[in-house]
Amino acid sequence: MGPLIPNDIISHEWSYIIAILIGLAFGYILEASGFSSSRKLAGVFYGYDFVVLKVFFTAALVSVIGILYMDYLGYLDFNSLYVHPTFLWGAIIGGAIMGIGFVSGGFCPGTSLCAVAIGKIDAMVFVGGILIGIFIFSELISFFEPIYSGYYFGNVTLVDSLGISPYWFVFIFTIIAIIAFIVVDIIRKRNKKIFYN
Amino acid sequence: MINRKLAKVLSFRYKILAIIFLVLAGGLVVLPKYEKQEGIQPEALLKNAVSSERYITTDELADLIINQDPSFILIDVREEESYKKYSLPNSINIPLDKLLSEDSNSFLNQDQFDVILFSNDHFYADQAWLICNRLDYNHIRVLKGGLNAWFNTIINPEKPSENQSVIASELYSFRKAASMYFGVAYPDEFKAKPVVKIIPKKKVIPKKKKKKMPVEGGC
Repeated sequence: MGPLIPNDIISHEWSYIIAILIGLAFGYILEASGFSSSRKLAGVFYGYDFVVLKVFFTAALVSVIGILYMDYLGYLDFNSLYVHPTFLWGAIIGGAIMGIGFVSGGFCPGTSLCAVAIGKIDAMVFVGGILIGIFIFSELISFFEPIYSGYYFGNVTLVDSLGISPYWFVFIFTIIAIIAFIVVDIIRKRNKKIFYN
Repeated sequence: MINRKLAKVLSFRYKILAIIFLVLAGGLVVLPKYEKQEGIQPEALLKNAVSSERYITTDELADLIINQDPSFILIDVREEESYKKYSLPNSINIPLDKLLSEDSNSFLNQDQFDVILFSNDHFYADQAWLICNRLDYNHIRVLKGGLNAWFNTIINPEKPSENQSVIASELYSFRKAASMYFGVAYPDEFKAKPVVKIIPKKKVIPKKKKKKMPVEGGC
């Protein structure tokens, strides 16, 4: 049956409208969980708040378990889902740069826009920085091109490259997540509790 | 009272959620596995089966061979004995029962060439086509009518009668030319040479003198 759009159960024209609706819901939930506060987001690096880690780990688990059950029951074809292609070094370097930006700016790109929407000035500065970064990158694209489109590994997933059953992978991943939740809770309890305004 | 009970349960909420996660993820591992249908969907298979693209005619094939088109592979799905007796030029023999072997996989499951399957008629080739399609192999076609049609149209084309259309005679001349390419000789194509009577001349036979042959040395 699914995915709905590639199988023409919902026509392609709807995809932008659905994207906007999902985007609105995503932004609302980010804001509602307090992700528009840079101090809360940066807390994960300083060890006083691990909501970011918990939320994203949980979201990943819920979706992957849901997808696998739906695939098992025949509601969704796992293999026809889009898998983002891997450009290994591009991803590693880009990830490192984004991490530096995250810890120093206190936002990731999505949450920064979310915070701009509620009028936070630090987020506006952060978005300005993103735009400058985009401009520099676009101007120097020919210089970055070999890394940007090199080291191409195709549309691989962890399951493909590790060569294990996706079900076992998800089970182990769940255990790792729960252990991580327990460990970060212990770390958080050792730090002073911080209240945000 | 109720609120207190609820609060007591809710104080374990993260543990409860963690257990739910573990049960769901563990359930995935424990679930009985079944063989999923892989390869092409039935609807797509039916669409391919009724498509006219599936067949290639003998005339098209002859044209490809004569023009030395490099974009196709000919695969003979008959038994090895029949293949040895006669087959199309440059064809590869993959008998139907060995269709799924690893050696044949490299010929069938690729995107570089068009694969043309043939057998005596197109019955076995069609079966092979169906299996290949089921495995989601691309660019598989069947020679319409198989080798029988090849003989009747290309090797031994039927001459059109005089009241048939121009197209028929053009087709005939193409087929005739093709058959000549494949080594069929037409007696009417050879011009009868005028018979010239040879008058025997009186020949003077010179006597050959025996020559002493030089002694050949060496062994």
